[in-house]
Amino acid sequence: MAVAAPSRIKALNRARRGVGLGGSGGVGRSDPPQRQRRISAHRRWTMGLMVLPSVLMVVIIYAYPLFFSGSLSVHNGTLLNTGSFIGLDNFSAIFSQSAFWQAANFTLIYTVVGVFGSWAVGLGLAILLRHKVHAKNVFKALLLLPWVVPVVVSATSWQWLVSTPGSLLPSVARDLGLGNLYVLTNPALAKTVVCVYKVWLSFPFMMLMMSGALAAVEEDVYEAARVDGATAWQQFKGVTLPLILRPTYISWVLMFIFCIGDFQSIYLLTGGGPIGASTTLVVLSYQTVFGDFQTGQGVAIGLIVALISVVVAVFLFQRIKRSRIYL
Amino acid sequence: MSTVATQALGQTGTAVASTSTALQGPTKRKKGYWGYTAVLFVITAVALVPIGVTVWEAFTPQVSSTSHATLTWANFSYVFSQTGVFTWLRNSGIVAVTTMLLAICVACPAGYVLSRARSKAINGYALLLFIGQSFPVIVSAIPLFILFSKVNLDDNLIGVAIVYVCSSISVATWMMAAYIDTIPVSLEESGWIDGCSLFGGFMRIVLRNCLPGILSTAIFSFLIAWNDFLIAVVFLRSDSNFTLPLGLETFFAENTTQWGYVMALSVIVMIPPVIIFSFLHKYFSIGGISGALGGH
Repeated sequence: MAVAAPSRIKALNRARRGVGLGGSGGVGRSDPPQRQRRISAHRRWTMGLMVLPSVLMVVIIYAYPLFFSGSLSVHNGTLLNTGSFIGLDNFSAIFSQSAFWQAANFTLIYTVVGVFGSWAVGLGLAILLRHKVHAKNVFKALLLLPWVVPVVVSATSWQWLVSTPGSLLPSVARDLGLGNLYVLTNPALAKTVVCVYKVWLSFPFMMLMMSGALAAVEEDVYEAARVDGATAWQQFKGVTLPLILRPTYISWVLMFIFCIGDFQSIYLLTGGGPIGASTTLVVLSYQTVFGDFQTGQGVAIGLIVALISVVVAVFLFQRIKRSRIYL
Repeated sequence: MSTVATQALGQTGTAVASTSTALQGPTKRKKGYWGYTAVLFVITAVALVPIGVTVWEAFTPQVSSTSHATLTWANFSYVFSQTGVFTWLRNSGIVAVTTMLLAICVACPAGYVLSRARSKAINGYALLLFIGQSFPVIVSAIPLFILFSKVNLDDNLIGVAIVYVCSSISVATWMMAAYIDTIPVSLEESGWIDGCSLFGGFMRIVLRNCLPGILSTAIFSFLIAWNDFLIAVVFLRSDSNFTLPLGLETFFAENTTQWGYVMALSVIVMIPPVIIFSFLHKYFSIGGISGALGGH
């Protein structure tokens, strides 16, 4: 946990790496230099071949589509033919649409709520599960269900829950005297439901991540804090949080990626409606391509999302890697 | 546990606090035990409402039906006899199992290298995986659809499986790397001394010891494929190639949605993942990926 000097960190890192394969230690240490070099070259080739399939896959699914999307976004074609080159007209067309800015706005809300909401719930549950509890494993397994159950299924059941007149939420609202609640036709309510749904979907992932982080924290630290008279909140703020800071940041970055690129949980729950209220940029991109048949514009929106996502994620990732927070 | 006691006694000084905690220990602890369980029970119950209603509605008779039994199999028998559920099940199964096997074959060696090797190239590769993961699937879906339709892999289950493997490869590799991190290098080193090659050591020593890691990866990639809707809806067009999520969507295309049938099929869709998790959740750990990602 301690925030140590950079030089110490470097030494620590080197020690952690131990006897790396390509590195200093281990096998060929006593061999003459020439033989050693041959061995490590051979090893390097083997390792290269072992990574090759996954590199190929990354290239197929990301590099090629990236270039192709780039080309699509500066043409006015359809899915079937390329059309003619129109420069950045697609982008200027997008930026002048209010639908785009509305979607961008909701994407921001959705991502922030998704990341921090699910983190708060997940961390709370992970802490709760650290205590002695009856039937702990049963609870753990049951709490994973929202994440395990296919989105098609849970979106369907949420849709039923909030919008069918005879089901739970509308009848509760009627009993409370709120009248007939049309959740999925009311923009503000639809937005709220989509955000809550995302938190519900993602908290098990956060719970798993945070449980993993908390497992590395020893009980003794709390004993020490308790002996010093720290309250539960102080223990959380002063002991737990700093100790799990690094995994927390990483889980935020991952959840940011999952939220900003999320298509199915919104599309299946509200279809982006009513009147585009719960449309995020990714949903807008899909609708522009497959609904309005504006391939160029739709792909351009997708590229903008990809750019934001990659830049923010890589920036944060590098910050974390270089940060001086250590467990 | 005894935090409450400590909290109340915190001001009175450490010595007093610790002795009185020790004195009150057993009773306090037992109360906390049930208290936490109760809190957890309530949270779990609330969280599972949406899943519970799905199951409940699946067994509830349709409004239009004449029988007044409270629970019925009628929805299931309708789904099994009147819809293409067996085709969808088969397709989903093919796609998910293919994805799972391919993902393991690709992610195991990659995770091994990521875990063991330290070089500039590998750091670059790790960054590449990360960039790949932060790419929204929809951005690659459209160009891939155009590419696959040129080589007749669109509307094809194997083509879809390839896309799933690609989109799960980053997390799968991190999961494998995280698990292989826990296997001591000394195991392979002793193998190398006995004349094992690097790859031989990986195949014979590391793989044999990382079954839980492989299981985690398998579960993850299976779920990616089984649960996906986006790739399926973009790539698959003919009815005979529909997977379960697409099949479920066809139920909504009719004028009035028959919720009983929808829920019955929903239950069928969620049974495989739920069964897998209820048996294997002990082996499933994703927490390690934060170490594989930002650690070292």
